[in-house]
Amino acid sequence: MEPILWFGWFRADIIAEYAMMFWRGLQMTVLVTVICIIQGTALGLAIGLARLAEARHSPARQICRYLLRWPSTVYVSFFRGTPLFVQILLIHFAVLPLFINPTDGLLIAGETARSLKQNYGAFISGVIALTLNSGAYISEIFRAGIQSIDRGQIEASRSLGLSFARTMYHIVLPQAFRRMLPPLGNNAIALLKDSSLISAIGLAELAYAARTVAGAYSRYWEPYLSISFMYWTLTLGLAWAIKRLEARYGRGDTR
Amino acid sequence: MKKILLSFSLVALVAGGAQAQNKELVVGSSATYRPFAYESPSKEIVGYDVDIIKAVAQKAGLQIKIVNTPWTGIFAALNNGDVDLVISGVTINEKRKQSYDFTAPYFEARQLIGVNKDSTAKSLKDLAGKKVGVVTGSTGDDIASREFGKTSPDIKRFESTPVAISELANSGVDAVIGDNGVIAFRVQEHKQLKTVSDPNFPKEYFGIVVKQGNKALLDKLNAGLAAIKADGTYAKIYKTWFQSEAPTLPAQ
Repeated sequence: MEPILWFGWFRADIIAEYAMMFWRGLQMTVLVTVICIIQGTALGLAIGLARLAEARHSPARQICRYLLRWPSTVYVSFFRGTPLFVQILLIHFAVLPLFINPTDGLLIAGETARSLKQNYGAFISGVIALTLNSGAYISEIFRAGIQSIDRGQIEASRSLGLSFARTMYHIVLPQAFRRMLPPLGNNAIALLKDSSLISAIGLAELAYAARTVAGAYSRYWEPYLSISFMYWTLTLGLAWAIKRLEARYGRGDTR
Repeated sequence: MKKILLSFSLVALVAGGAQAQNKELVVGSSATYRPFAYESPSKEIVGYDVDIIKAVAQKAGLQIKIVNTPWTGIFAALNNGDVDLVISGVTINEKRKQSYDFTAPYFEARQLIGVNKDSTAKSLKDLAGKKVGVVTGSTGDDIASREFGKTSPDIKRFESTPVAISELANSGVDAVIGDNGVIAFRVQEHKQLKTVSDPNFPKEYFGIVVKQGNKALLDKLNAGLAAIKADGTYAKIYKTWFQSEAPTLPAQ
């Protein structure tokens, strides 16, 4: 292909040549981000609630302590206390082969395991790692959000006869959610950017596309500047969506 | 504040002066490429490439310092001037010659395919439709890209050969294409793997890389390389690392 120069130095033809790869990479990045935001939020809510579990009488008291609070605290501590990059490598090369392995997988073995690993191996590992990681951070957002709601609200609700679950669902979470939106948005943006780390295990997302082009041409401005703008556009879109959500749920505050 | 600035500039001056005197050349090498270059348990970079460049430098009277540089950024490091030369199992090819200058060859290489023992693949063509692992921007990547298409989702690119081989051992890919020395070494570490040699793969050569136009350094390196080939040092180093006689290499 003839070199096409933009502004005298930007080899646009290289990007055009790999356009398909960038496009599929962009789709993969968005897909991973969306899945991980949804799963991470669900996991974060569960873990956040588990960390707050408390009961007054035996045996519920012991159950809350040893089966809910302790494990969830250890989980959050581990996933916040170790680098995401390390978690991705650990899950992909050590944990997942234990469960999905053609010869002796604990969960899936044989030909299914082989085709699953070859077609979705990096995707599965990446999504698991990113979900577990963001779940840990999101659980802290939920915990802080729930704890920021005045205890009187819970007490009032409970004394009116609402169960713990209904108190959470109808009284606490709607109020807490409003306060949690800004940090949740922050987390979603961080997650989008962190998805680039999955390229290390060969998932064909945006950073992987750029790495491929850089490797083939030994040129770095074109691929990395291009994906920078793509990531930027995506995070701008996310930020806008969060702003809309904040405006929507914040209506009650502006009287 | 002024004092701090002053001391900073002093440090910079001293450091700059020292560098100018010794003219220590920085050699970039990606130490994930056993047996060519890898880190020993004591964090030293050792290997065939390292022994070669040390012998060459000694003959040419050059002071060198070897710096572990990740493969994906190794040419950028050369462009930026972070490293003065690169010896990292770099295959001499036309595309690279357009942007960099190479010394005479110091190793004869051939691409090799690593597969599972039960695989029936005999050549590159048999890998069509299969997942193929390569190192980003390597010769294996080049070959796979030409055969299966640059943007083919069947090509899976990794940062280094050990990672690609791990993926093969975990059945994440069906095959890995890479340089013979490294693939053969890595495959013998996993008993469920074997190597396949495609007779259609061309002979290739590794060369030492310098920035385009750095003729002074290139000439010195070539002279050093010729000297170690002439006095038998080269053959000795080759035998240490590959347990076989050194092949005769073309002069250019």
